[in-house]
Order: sequence, then structure tokens, then C-alpha cells
Amino acid sequence: MKLTRFAAAGLMSAALALMGGVALAQDAPSVLVTTINMTADDIPTIDPTLSETVTSVDVLNHLFPGVTMSDVATGELELGIATAITPTPNDDGSVLYTIDLLEGVAWVRYNAESGAVEQVTDADGNPLFVTAADAVYGMTRALDPATAAPYSYVLLPFVTGAPEFNAGEADASTLGVSIVDENTYTILAPDSAAFAPAVFGLWMARPVPQIAIDAFGDSWTDPANIATYGPYALKEWVRGTGGSISVVVNPFWAGAENIPAATIEEVQWRFLDQPQAFAEYEAGNIQAIDVPVDQVPRVQADPVLSAEYYRGVEPCTYYLGFDNTEAPTDNVHLRRALSYSIDRVAIADNVLQIGWIAAGWFSRPGLNAAPTPELNPDLGVTFDLEFAQAELAIALEELGIANAADLSLTYSYNDTARNALIAQVIQQQWTENLGVTVAVNPMEGSTYFSTISEEHPGIARVGWCKDYNDASNFLYDVMYSQSSQNDVNFSNAEFDELVSQARLMTDTEERRALYARAEEILNEEEAAIAPLFWYAVNSLIKPNLEYVPSVVTNQAYNEWSFSG
Amino acid sequence: MTKFILRRLLWMILVMFVVSVITFGLMRAVPGGPFSREKPLPQATLDALNAKYRLDEPLIVQYLVYMGDIVVPRIGPQTVPSADEDYLIEFQLPAIFGENQSFKWVNFGPTYSARGRSVNDIFRENMPVSAQLGVAAFLVAVSIGIPLGVAAALNRNKWQDFGAMGVSIIGVSVPVIISAPVLQYLVGVQWRILPVTGWGTLNHLILPAFTLGFASSALIARLMRASLLQVMNEDYIRTARAKGVAESGVITFHALKNGLLPVVTVLGPLFAALVTGTFVVETVFGVPGIGRYFVTAVQGRDYPVVMGTILLYAGVLVISNLLVDVVYAWLDPRIRFD
Repeated sequence: MKLTRFAAAGLMSAALALMGGVALAQDAPSVLVTTINMTADDIPTIDPTLSETVTSVDVLNHLFPGVTMSDVATGELELGIATAITPTPNDDGSVLYTIDLLEGVAWVRYNAESGAVEQVTDADGNPLFVTAADAVYGMTRALDPATAAPYSYVLLPFVTGAPEFNAGEADASTLGVSIVDENTYTILAPDSAAFAPAVFGLWMARPVPQIAIDAFGDSWTDPANIATYGPYALKEWVRGTGGSISVVVNPFWAGAENIPAATIEEVQWRFLDQPQAFAEYEAGNIQAIDVPVDQVPRVQADPVLSAEYYRGVEPCTYYLGFDNTEAPTDNVHLRRALSYSIDRVAIADNVLQIGWIAAGWFSRPGLNAAPTPELNPDLGVTFDLEFAQAELAIALEELGIANAADLSLTYSYNDTARNALIAQVIQQQWTENLGVTVAVNPMEGSTYFSTISEEHPGIARVGWCKDYNDASNFLYDVMYSQSSQNDVNFSNAEFDELVSQARLMTDTEERRALYARAEEILNEEEAAIAPLFWYAVNSLIKPNLEYVPSVVTNQAYNEWSFSG
Repeated sequence: MTKFILRRLLWMILVMFVVSVITFGLMRAVPGGPFSREKPLPQATLDALNAKYRLDEPLIVQYLVYMGDIVVPRIGPQTVPSADEDYLIEFQLPAIFGENQSFKWVNFGPTYSARGRSVNDIFRENMPVSAQLGVAAFLVAVSIGIPLGVAAALNRNKWQDFGAMGVSIIGVSVPVIISAPVLQYLVGVQWRILPVTGWGTLNHLILPAFTLGFASSALIARLMRASLLQVMNEDYIRTARAKGVAESGVITFHALKNGLLPVVTVLGPLFAALVTGTFVVETVFGVPGIGRYFVTAVQGRDYPVVMGTILLYAGVLVISNLLVDVVYAWLDPRIRFD
């Protein structure tokens, strides 16, 4: 059957295309077409459990909102489809979280024949609603080693029994997740990390429809098979470059306290490269795009485009990792010399010109409990030539090298135009400021990422973006000595103590003070890494749209509207 | 002729086998893996993923399992759709084979970069798009290239010749990575005559097909001109003229048919290259074809997609060349293959 379908599809569509073909539906004014956060490649999946890219999460947030969500405008954590999350501390330090779900949230599916969103029913025709069982199933499915969910590891420290179950050493019954009643379930967390509710709301922990997954297997996310519950419902998914994914308003979504029902009738994400998205924006066919970086100066200078231009926060940090255990970068004075001799402001303002901010430390300001330039004005690495040269002199003496030019250093990066540009400027600054000759080593992406995990190449470019909105996601999850993400092999007892302690505290200002001290150790005293930039996003949005500027990368289109 | 075709088909199996071994070997020799990420995955997650896709087994076993899934037909009950077990050919068998048994054949495996999707899904959904664009571009190339070449040859060193060759120089020397965005900007954004990107209507087809076809037409035009000039000097053309055949008849029935031979030779590989998709044109014009997968699969170490697309290309290439040989025999009756 499938052969005939394949062959017939090819021949028929060739014929159709030549005869004039079927016209695509004309965009009604109620449709928002966007490429923000998209790339030229198809979205890998919209299965919440299996997602790992910004593209996936941006779409699935509208279909499967979590029990908690980050407010797009402030980044603050708020309740999503939960009406309450109640922590009950136990004597052993563990915490039982009781999660009450919003009642009457319907599972829905778009019917392509009738053109309407319909409720999903069970075999007897009774409509199905999101229950505690769906939430527990979603969590269990994410942690099941058979699922091989790439992002499941983020959940592991927050659910009792999860590491053992995920490693295949225990079965699902040992997992600290239980159903209490129709709309209530509990999660037992092994410790009192205050931001655990943020993790419980992440995409891989979202409720998913077991009935659809059991019936349709891997094809359950096809528009004809899927069941969703958020403010939008999946309408169509054209796979591949230039394709698109479309969602329409879900009339059964009554709105949660922080997740309003949508006003824009239909949202379509298109998979285009940035130059093509820009061309379509100029042609008036796309209403919201990321600006191609080489076009930012032009956009800012253009009287029309500059009025539609928006520069926002992206919660990511760009940094150089030094191998802390192998010569010569195991020498702290050399690391300090390298870090303090980079003029970050000059690179950001004169070379990049895309709104990136010179970073003095690792955890991006704006994250919960992260230090900020306003509250911690003296913190962080700066451009200090005198100090850098003094440190270099000590380093050379300790390393027994007579001349700075005899140092053998290699700066590796995954080869993109931007990474190459930054590498070349830093290479030049090191030569001018320190007299050090550094070789730059561009590598193909996949090779590079496996290399820095397995055998760190001395000096390497890295980027880190938040999973959940807390400084712990940067400082503990990446730089803790035992973290699987700690590619630079940084290990400092005081740092470990600080980030472990801050992780379990509740008062934000007290935590911020500990993180500020931890950052001081990481970047200034040990110079384990050289933080370089905090990212920014550059968007163009048509003037007839009322939008909510996002500080969390992902967008909430259910909060947008056409202004007429 | 039948014997020749059969022999070539047997050769094709050998060629495909060699291509598969070389591709498999090369792709696994490259460092990095399908799950190398900027945010590295913990070992437990990597182990689970490797186990799921059987990447933890010896290479030879992986190769045999992979080829077995493609080549060996099987019979079994219908199962829930799964990217790991998605067969290009699957149909229900009559009851004598047992209840609810299906015949299943040709499984190119899952793609690692899009969870829950199979390589066969890419073949089903994206390959037809590339094929349509490729056929259209091929027609553009032939219908511009051959008349241009003929006009140039028949008017050697006249303005028609210089004009035609000038056009083809442009076609040869301006790569599609330049011409595609320029055409897109002028026709789509400035003049708003045709859609900027997308797929689905005849209007969406025009720009990418022209961009792709025009670049190839230049090669055809130059070959056609050179070949026709040579043929026009052959004895049999003089003979035809001596017999009193009208000049139009000489050109149509004697010169053109023979002059096409070298052109047909390049049309085979050209056709194969066009119908299996092109990275630049598909990316620039937002055409959801298969061309981009050739590149992204290698970058992402998406092994089954690398294998699938390369085997597809090799298969189309071999068949196109077979067709070229058949056309040879028709064009020049002196060529016999048996």
C-alpha cells in the first residue's frame, strides 16, 4: 500500500504542480506568521517528552503548557495549569510537593474535515480531560530509560528515585511521583531546592496523552492523531525546509490565571533561514522575525524598520572554557592574564554590534538570584591590562618559559561566522596586549561538541542557555565539580560548598550574595572560564501587532493581538 | 537489449552495495556523533540513546542490521507506527498466512534528528517535492539549453552565436547561491510578481525551477553547440545535402539526432542531481524538499539519513545512466549493447 502511495504521490504531485496545483489557503488577517526562534530546518519534534530545542519548545508551550511557566515579560515563575503547588518538608530533608491541576482542561484535536477543534473522547464517547494520571504518565515517560528522552537528566536531581529509574536500576514504582486523586498528584523531591517547581513545569515533565501515544506510537504528534490541551491546537505541519507548523485557537481552553486564552486566531511558524525570513518580512508575508545579524545596523538606520525593531534579552552566556587540569592552562595566573586582557566592551560595541553585553561573570543577570551589575557593581572580570600583564609575568616564571611568544596555545571553536569573528579579534587582542601567539582552530560542529566533552582542547568557546530561570542552572548545573557539564574540570571546595548551599536556600537576596561570591571565585580568583558576552535577541515585529517582549527566549503568542 | 538491461540491473546491486559500504565506513570514521550537543548529554542519557538506536553494537552488526532492514522482506503482524519499523512497502496478506499478517519490506530506519520520524517519511513527504522541482528544472534546462546551442551552432560566429554563448557564460559563471537570492529579491520583494518562498502552487515553482534550470542550461547549450558543429562537418551531412534534402531536414533528421549524443550523456547525471534535491535552491526559496537533508544529516551525524539519501542518489544516478544508454541505442542504431 505504502509503495503505491509513495509512487502515486510523486507522479500525481508532479502532474498537479505542472497543471497549476492546489492553491495554498490565503492568509487571513487573523493569522500571525512568525519565524522568531525558528531555523531553516524542520522542528525535530513537538513531543514534549522528547524535545530539546528552542524551536520545539516554542511551539509546544502553546499546546502543552506546564504546571508552572516562566512569565515571558519578567521571567518570574508563575502557576501554569496547576492551581496550587504546596511543599511539605519532611524530617529527612526531602520535600513532598502536592500539585493541584486546573479542572476541566479538555484534551482536544483539530478536525481537518470540519475545520474545527474538537474534544478527544474515550472509546465510549466521553470527553477526556487532563488529569493527574496524565501528568504522572508524562513524568514517568520522560524518565523511562526506554524512552531515551534527551532532556530527562534535568529532572533527575528533583525527583526521588529518578536517577535509579532513569539508569535502568529500578522500576517505575520506586519513582517519587504518585496520583492522589483525579486532579492532584505529588512529587517527592530529595532535597529542598526552592526552584523545584520551575523544573516540574519544564517541557519534558508535561502531561501527555497516553491514549494517543498507545494508539499511534511515534506518529502520535501528527495533526490527525495528536491530543493537546493548551490555548492553541495543532492544525497542520508541513515538514522540511520552508515548511511550517500551524496552530489554531483552542475554544475549549477557558484560560488559566497566567495563561490567557488566545485572541489571534491562528499562528504559523515557518522554517526559513534568516535572510529569507527578512525578505518575506519586507514583502509583508511574515509579521515577526529575528533580524539577520548582518542587517541589524541597516534596520537601526532605516526610519520604517527601526520603529518595528525590538532588542531584548536572551538568557545565555558566551564564554571561553580553559582546561583547568592540563598545562599550560592549568596555571591560574595564565588564565587570569588571558581573561583580563580581553576588551569585551570593544568587541561587543564595535565588532559585533548586535546588542550583546560584555559579561563579567557566568550566570546571566535576570536569572532568579543571579548577581546583577546594579546590585553587584564591583563584581566580575573587566579589561585590566596592567593586572593581566603582571599575571602573565608570574605565569611565565612558574611555567619556566622565558618569552610570552613561546607559549603554545590553541583557541578552538565550532565554525560559524560569528565564532570565527570573535576568535580572530581575541587572538589579535592577546597578541597586542600580552605578546602571546594563539592559534585558532575552527572545527565542524558535531566534532567540536564531542571533542570538548571528551578531551578539552585548552581554550574552547562555549555557550550556555538557561533550562529553568535560576542561577543554579548555571553555577551548580555546569560548574559544580561533579557536574556532567563541567567540561573545564573546574574544582574548588569553597565554590562547591557555596553553590550547594545556595541551591537549598529560599531567600533570594541571601542566595544572590552566595552566588556573587561563587562568581568571584569562578571568574576572578580561579579564572576557570573567561565569561565574554550575555546574548541579546534582535526582532522585527509589524506595527499592527501588540506583543509582549520576551526575556525568556520563548514567546507566548496567546498574549499577542492584532491592534486593528 | 533485455539482456543488457538485466545485466546492468545486476551491476546496480553491486554498485549500491559498494556505495553503502563506503558511505557507512566513511560516516562512522568521522569524529562526533548524532548526540554530540553544545550542552553535552550525561553518560546515562547517551547510553540510553545509543541502546535505543543500537549504536552500542559492533559496527559490522550495525551495518548488517541496517542493510537487513532494507533488503530482507518480512512477514509479521501490523504494529503501532514506529520510526524504527517503518516499511516503504507494507500490505495486508491473505488469511492463509495467518490472522492479521502483513508483508513488510524496505525499512531505511529512523532519523535521529527528528524523534519519531523515519527516513521513509522523508522519502514520502520531501522527496516528491524535490522530484517535482527537479523535473521542472530539467525541462527548463533542456528547453533553454538545446535551442540556444543549436542557434549558436547554426549561426557560428554571428551575433546569435555570441548572444547565446554570452547567456550561457552567465549561466555557468554565476552560481545559484548568487542568482537565487538576487532573483528572489527582485521578483519577490521588489516587484512582488512571484512568491518569495514556499511551495504548493505553480507560482511557487517558477523561480526555483528557473534558477536551477538556467544554471544547468548553460552547460547543455555549450555542449550542444560544440557537438552540432562537429556533426555538421561529417560526410553524411554532405551526402544528405547532395541528395537534395532540404536544409531544415538535414538539421532535424541528420545533424540534430547525432549531435544530441554527448548532450544525452550529461543529461543522465544532471537529471539525477536535479530530482534528488539541491541544498541552496531549496533553502533560499523555502522549498520543503530532500536536498537540505543531504547536508544537515552529515552535519548532525544522522547516520540513517546519510545512508538513505546517498543510496537514493546512487540509485537514481544508476537508473538515469541506464536510461541514457537506452536512449543512445535509439539515437544511434549502430550502438548495440548485446
